[in-house]
Amino acid sequence: MDHLAGPLSALIGELEKLPTVGPKTAARLAFYLLSGSREDAQALADAIVAVKDKIRFCKRCFSLTEGDECSICLDARRDPTLICVVGEAKDVYAVERAMAFNGRYHVLGGLISPMEGIGVGQLHVKELLDRLGPENVKEVIIATNPNAEGESTALYLHRLIEPTGVKVTRLAYGLPIGGELDYADETTLARALEGRRAL
Amino acid sequence: MRVESLELSNFRNYAALRFEPPEGACILVGPNAQGKSNVLEALALLALGKSFRAVRESDLIRFDAPLASVSARVRTRAGGATAGCVITRAGDGARKRFLRNGRSVRYGDFLGSITAVTFVPADLALVTGPASLRRRLLNAALSQLDRSYYHDLSAYVKLIEQKNAFLKSPDAGDRTLLTTYNAQIGQTGARLIGARTNYLRKLAHDARTAHARWVGGHDELEVRYLPSPPQEAQTPDAIRAALDDALARAAPGEIARRMALVGPHRDDIGLNLHGRSLARYGSQGQQRTAVLALKAAEYSLAYASAGEAPLLLLDDVLSELDEQRRHAFLASLAGFEQAFITATHLSDVALDTPHRVIRVQAGELIGDARHAIGA
Repeated sequence: MDHLAGPLSALIGELEKLPTVGPKTAARLAFYLLSGSREDAQALADAIVAVKDKIRFCKRCFSLTEGDECSICLDARRDPTLICVVGEAKDVYAVERAMAFNGRYHVLGGLISPMEGIGVGQLHVKELLDRLGPENVKEVIIATNPNAEGESTALYLHRLIEPTGVKVTRLAYGLPIGGELDYADETTLARALEGRRAL
Repeated sequence: MRVESLELSNFRNYAALRFEPPEGACILVGPNAQGKSNVLEALALLALGKSFRAVRESDLIRFDAPLASVSARVRTRAGGATAGCVITRAGDGARKRFLRNGRSVRYGDFLGSITAVTFVPADLALVTGPASLRRRLLNAALSQLDRSYYHDLSAYVKLIEQKNAFLKSPDAGDRTLLTTYNAQIGQTGARLIGARTNYLRKLAHDARTAHARWVGGHDELEVRYLPSPPQEAQTPDAIRAALDDALARAAPGEIARRMALVGPHRDDIGLNLHGRSLARYGSQGQQRTAVLALKAAEYSLAYASAGEAPLLLLDDVLSELDEQRRHAFLASLAGFEQAFITATHLSDVALDTPHRVIRVQAGELIGDARHAIGA
């Protein structure tokens, strides 16, 4: 991209570092930003810098917040005896979108994966255990990803929490709503069969 | 099953190739490093989802090209279909995408689109070589027969990698995490052992039969599954219980040696003649005959399971066999629909059944006088 003006090729280079953005998309976005107004460009730049400067981790659940505690932890209408454990902060927003959960969260900050150098010590596991008593938690719902690391992490937490007497549950495995049975892969279908329920 | 056409783009040394292979045996002849094996490798990639060579996947992409693609139109009993694989450079490695009838599918759903039995020079060491070679035969055969085996195998491999990384990490003293991994390994590993037990029972029978036909009844070939941990259990529950028990007992040793020592990743196949180990006491000729019996059995099981002949990919192995063994082996595969055979010299193959010869030269295929095949 030597033929491009320096700042433009620098912008393309930065955009290319983003997930799901390849060289073509990066170039398209860069030309789009260049053609827009200076105000729009400034607003985007400010928004990006603002998330870096102002967003912190909630001191209770390690979700993202502007203050000390996140809006969910501060919300008195939410049931503090229910904790939904997720791997990443973005998973909080996924569960919130479902509008079916009225408890609080706990973000681990990743999943156990020794291959990637992520051990239990790097995750907010101890902080989760420390919440159980003081918050009078009755049930921990584990909502880690349904992949190998998510499964190991879920089983591990179950083994840790079980002796405290707090109920531990795991999100069910099932079929996507609106999907067709013959499109489901074998593993999902087998797990859905194992997890079947009486009507 | 048969391949009606094969298209390669920037795959290995082929910039662009369209090849319509004939029915029956197709012999690819030419000097070394012209691209004979690459054609077989492309077909194996569609059947196994990976190369039969131990390579970095980015090496499959032609020098300087960003991506390579392999696509084949196949005809099976069930009808026609296309199967493809696109390999893209990604960082230091490569990413693969699988296509079935032009639609992107996950590898697990792609498996079985093409079934093939491969026979490559490394297989000649099946009797004397490391156990990993014999496990590879099991994994290649079972993954093609049974998708759930493939899913279990990939999950199992990942679990062992995680467990090994854990045992080498500073957290290795965390017994709760060790028992967590062992519980998962016990569940998945027991399914692998169950599938291998069943498969080996059939493989042992077919290999013994082929072997007896070649050498007469007096030298009985015995093929035995040697699971880790050693066990004779037959039911899923008993297999699981034996594995769980062995994992629990192995824990102190695994922590001390910082690696996973028990489980089907340490399985082997025992091969005996007259009750004596072929690897230790067999002559080279006896060892080679046993290898052929195993490959012939793998072929007959793939045939029986699919209800039709799998593709046969013989890469540079026939030249390694004397005339008598070559004939005996090829005769035992009677009924193949399509075979791809590579050789440096036509005389190394010396097929007495009808076949087509295709010369391979610097990434181009040249059919015998009557059929010119464009590259």
